[in-house]
Amino acid sequence: MPRLTIDGREIEAPAGQTVMDAARAAGIFIPYFCWHPQLSVPGNCRICVVGVEDKGGEWIDIACNMPVSEGMVVHTNSEGVRQRRKDTLQFITLNHPVDCGICDKAGECTLQDYHYEYNGERSLSRDAKNHETKHHALSPRIVLDNERCIQCTRCVRFTREVSKSNGLGMQNRADHSLVRAVEDGSFANDPYSDNVIDLCPVGALLSPSFLHKARVWYLKPTASVCPGCARGCTVNLWHRRPEWRLRAPDMRAQNESIDRVTPLENPAVNGPWICNKGRDLAKLLGRARAEGAMLKGRAAELQGAIAMARSLIAAARKPVALVSSWGSNEELAAFRAAFGERLDARVKADHAPEPGEVVEDAILIRADKNPNTAGAKAIFGDAPPDIPKDADLVLVWGEGLDFNRIPAGAKIVYLNAWLQPENGHADVFIPISIQTERSGHYTNFAGVTSAFAKCFPKPAQAADAETLFASLALAPGGGP
Amino acid sequence: MRHLVPEFEKLKERYPAGFEASLVLPCLRRIQEDRGFVAEEDIVGLVDYLGVPRIQVEEVLSYYTMLRRKPIGRFHLQACRNIACSMRGAEGVVGYLRKRLGIGPGETTPDGRFTLSVVECLGSCGTAPVVMVNEAYHEDMSLEKLDRLVDELAAAGEGK
Amino acid sequence: MPGRQLIMNFEVTPTSHTLEAYRARGGYATLEKALTTMQPVDITKEVTASGLLGHGGAAFPVGRKWAVMKPGSDETHYLCANADEGEPGTFKDRWILENAPHLLVESMLIASYALGVRNAFVYIRGEFDLPYRRIQGAIDEAYAAGLLGAKLHGTPFELDIVVYRGAGSYVCGEASGLITSIEGRKPYPRNRPPRLTVRGLYQKPTVINNVESLANITGIVRMGAEEFRKVGTAKSPGTQLISISGHIAKPGVYEVEYGYPWARFLDEDCGGMLHGAKMKCIVPGGISTKVLTRAEIEPLMLSHESVNPAGSGLGSGGMIVIAEGTCMVRLLQVLLRFYHHESCGQCTPCREGMGWMHRIIDRIVAGQGVPEDIDRLYAISEANDGTTICGMGDAAGYATVGILNKFRDEFEYFIANKRSKCDGRLECLA
Repeated sequence: MPRLTIDGREIEAPAGQTVMDAARAAGIFIPYFCWHPQLSVPGNCRICVVGVEDKGGEWIDIACNMPVSEGMVVHTNSEGVRQRRKDTLQFITLNHPVDCGICDKAGECTLQDYHYEYNGERSLSRDAKNHETKHHALSPRIVLDNERCIQCTRCVRFTREVSKSNGLGMQNRADHSLVRAVEDGSFANDPYSDNVIDLCPVGALLSPSFLHKARVWYLKPTASVCPGCARGCTVNLWHRRPEWRLRAPDMRAQNESIDRVTPLENPAVNGPWICNKGRDLAKLLGRARAEGAMLKGRAAELQGAIAMARSLIAAARKPVALVSSWGSNEELAAFRAAFGERLDARVKADHAPEPGEVVEDAILIRADKNPNTAGAKAIFGDAPPDIPKDADLVLVWGEGLDFNRIPAGAKIVYLNAWLQPENGHADVFIPISIQTERSGHYTNFAGVTSAFAKCFPKPAQAADAETLFASLALAPGGGP
Repeated sequence: MRHLVPEFEKLKERYPAGFEASLVLPCLRRIQEDRGFVAEEDIVGLVDYLGVPRIQVEEVLSYYTMLRRKPIGRFHLQACRNIACSMRGAEGVVGYLRKRLGIGPGETTPDGRFTLSVVECLGSCGTAPVVMVNEAYHEDMSLEKLDRLVDELAAAGEGK
Repeated sequence: MPGRQLIMNFEVTPTSHTLEAYRARGGYATLEKALTTMQPVDITKEVTASGLLGHGGAAFPVGRKWAVMKPGSDETHYLCANADEGEPGTFKDRWILENAPHLLVESMLIASYALGVRNAFVYIRGEFDLPYRRIQGAIDEAYAAGLLGAKLHGTPFELDIVVYRGAGSYVCGEASGLITSIEGRKPYPRNRPPRLTVRGLYQKPTVINNVESLANITGIVRMGAEEFRKVGTAKSPGTQLISISGHIAKPGVYEVEYGYPWARFLDEDCGGMLHGAKMKCIVPGGISTKVLTRAEIEPLMLSHESVNPAGSGLGSGGMIVIAEGTCMVRLLQVLLRFYHHESCGQCTPCREGMGWMHRIIDRIVAGQGVPEDIDRLYAISEANDGTTICGMGDAAGYATVGILNKFRDEFEYFIANKRSKCDGRLECLA
């Protein structure tokens, strides 16, 4: 393995590796815009220049395309390198509007960071900037500000190399080159399109659903797992920081909603990407909630409903349970611990593919649209979610069951978070919390377990399933 | 575009298998020669025929100056204005053509006969200034020669 | 005649480009000699020994480029003749394509044999019509005569030559941009490493030589490296095609033996200045080489070792003669407009720098210049030097710095007085 020196540190790097990779492996930071660990190396932004000692002098080239060689001495912060970076940042901001004040990317913008770190000077240009299209819709999900674009082509390469939709390209030439979507509109069908928003090092690619919604420094990310399919991609759910809570008439909507979803890089599951369904979790998890407990469709106190459910379960001769594939491993274990073998428990699919949704592909998307089928089946086995004809009580946990499949005369105890017509058809209905209101783990289709953390407090009327099961399993009257 | 496929098939044999994308430029040139420009249906047909991503064809069309997606006049006058031609009177040539045709660069006469373009070096510096009419170079252009050329083209245009 | 002739050594007639005429001049005999009496490695050795320098502009030794190839290996190799002649002021490859297309075909056959190539390309700029028809015609003739194709001269050697036409882009003349163009994409140049001789067209080892460089191969193999070296100078063997334009009495393409006195070439061979004007300066080899004044070239010979120390180069041989009275500010405006127009837009310094310089010079010409503009043009040129993917950013900088260094006063005058020191003229009046 070649030995080389970077900023005075001797390191060893595999032959064929680039200086960029070798430096990163050694914890030495070299700035970059166009480079990305998962994409090809176009070497077009020119910010990653480093100096290599040569015959008493120094030659400067880009680190992302420079193979390591034995004995090379690299400087990432020599005077020559600093000047080149300044030059490059002058070029990059030449036609960039520097409108950070109204830019969604401000606060997490690579260009902003580098400008402070490596340039810090006003533009040396006294000429008007090029004007290009603002708010150009690449698809219904993505708007492009061509003036902010620094033409690093990360987005273009993503559609070529990762999502393979070939949905984006670089049109024209020189400083009037423009990122554009393919004219047949097929970029709108790229189920991974929104990753280009994260990939964009500046505020050129934006999500209309997040546009001007919040400054990012008022938000905080909570690690979570996308429940959209059995891949279980790890994500960050961004929501208002508690210390920046807004006082507003709709306080809950303002302070306890998911403002955006971004991937949480995870080599074992999803790499740095997620699909667009994951981006829309705010919609999936923001559906109308069940208001309160009910007995045969009539509102009831939660404790009364729990007591009623408990006695129905205790009285049943042949009770059957359909457990949720959206339950966390902790909840599923609690269910098993509470009921043991007393209930004939089978795993049910809460969600099936929606019309128009990508059912399955070779990238991330799985056909099973539930996050914890594997975790549930590990406990309750692989039996199909059939309901025996002679069942006299069915405990349904989670949405998605057609109640017509329940034998006539069987009692129904229903635990569900959402406002749905079935709620009123149950003998006992108990509202429960959702993923963002509790912590837990899901196990994905490949057996990888990922954790999700609580973002918001649960509504007062909802029960916490993990503790609820124990009280449902108690004998009537309170004793075991 | 479909009627050109037999020609394209012959071209295809001369490129290594798996690199059909090499045909994008020759095919677009041929299509333009045939139709005068590259139409939407040509793009659709070519993408289908070559199996290349459509975006690649769009990028190529947008990049090269000789390719166009809209019809132009019957006679495309391209006046070079690079260094050698400018030093030999190209600015006068362009000025003359503007006046004589009543259009600016990038425009087509209302009768659809002439389109005027200004272009960069055509590799005819020793015989500057040069004006290209469709495929043909007209070199050592003086204003008198230019006058005669436009007359001839106009007369040829009458026939149609 | 400026010295001995190796390429333009026949009388041009309406039929001199045909196979018949070429054969009458001894054409394709060298191919037979090469195929039947020489091993591929012998040819590369001759070419290396000849000291032939590339004629595309960089004067890189052709033999050194060839030596990287491994003709014996199973891997596919490609050869491309770079006929994307687009450097303003340069039109000498056009002469070869139009008048000696078979010389190029024969040379490409010999080169392909030497390099283990079975598929070769001629990448010709899109606007060239007659040159295209001539080279395509020559290839068709060669096929019909059994000089191209399979089992040539009873050997297992075979070659197909495809003429690939561009569609209007300066950057395609850059070797890696050319390759990317053949691959059917926008001609974005590529970062090195890898070199194209390691991974070029279709990811295979590829040699790309300028048309004129290749055209010399037949002569070198015919006469041998030793004889070839007797032409020209020790450090610049052979000849160079000079295409001369601008304010000169007899513009055109001349074959000049290296070592020929520059001033004599201009004054005698090219008939002196247009309208008897005085010479202000000269672009020696395509607009990307730095201008030299008449006084500077007075003692120089036309050879790399004579011109390079003067701070410029013979480049592509595209000489542009500029008469006294020509406005250098407006001249630079024409050049910067060109570079801006032709920047592919891939890498930052060139994409932004070309537009920036163009805007500055436009503003100066519009009478809105400020003194710091001159320093800014220098700084942008400097920031493009060695920082871009291909050489275009550098080239624009050289052109700019070359003119600013020598004619700074004209720029200062224009900025201060809002008008040209030279009437804003680019033409040379009678």
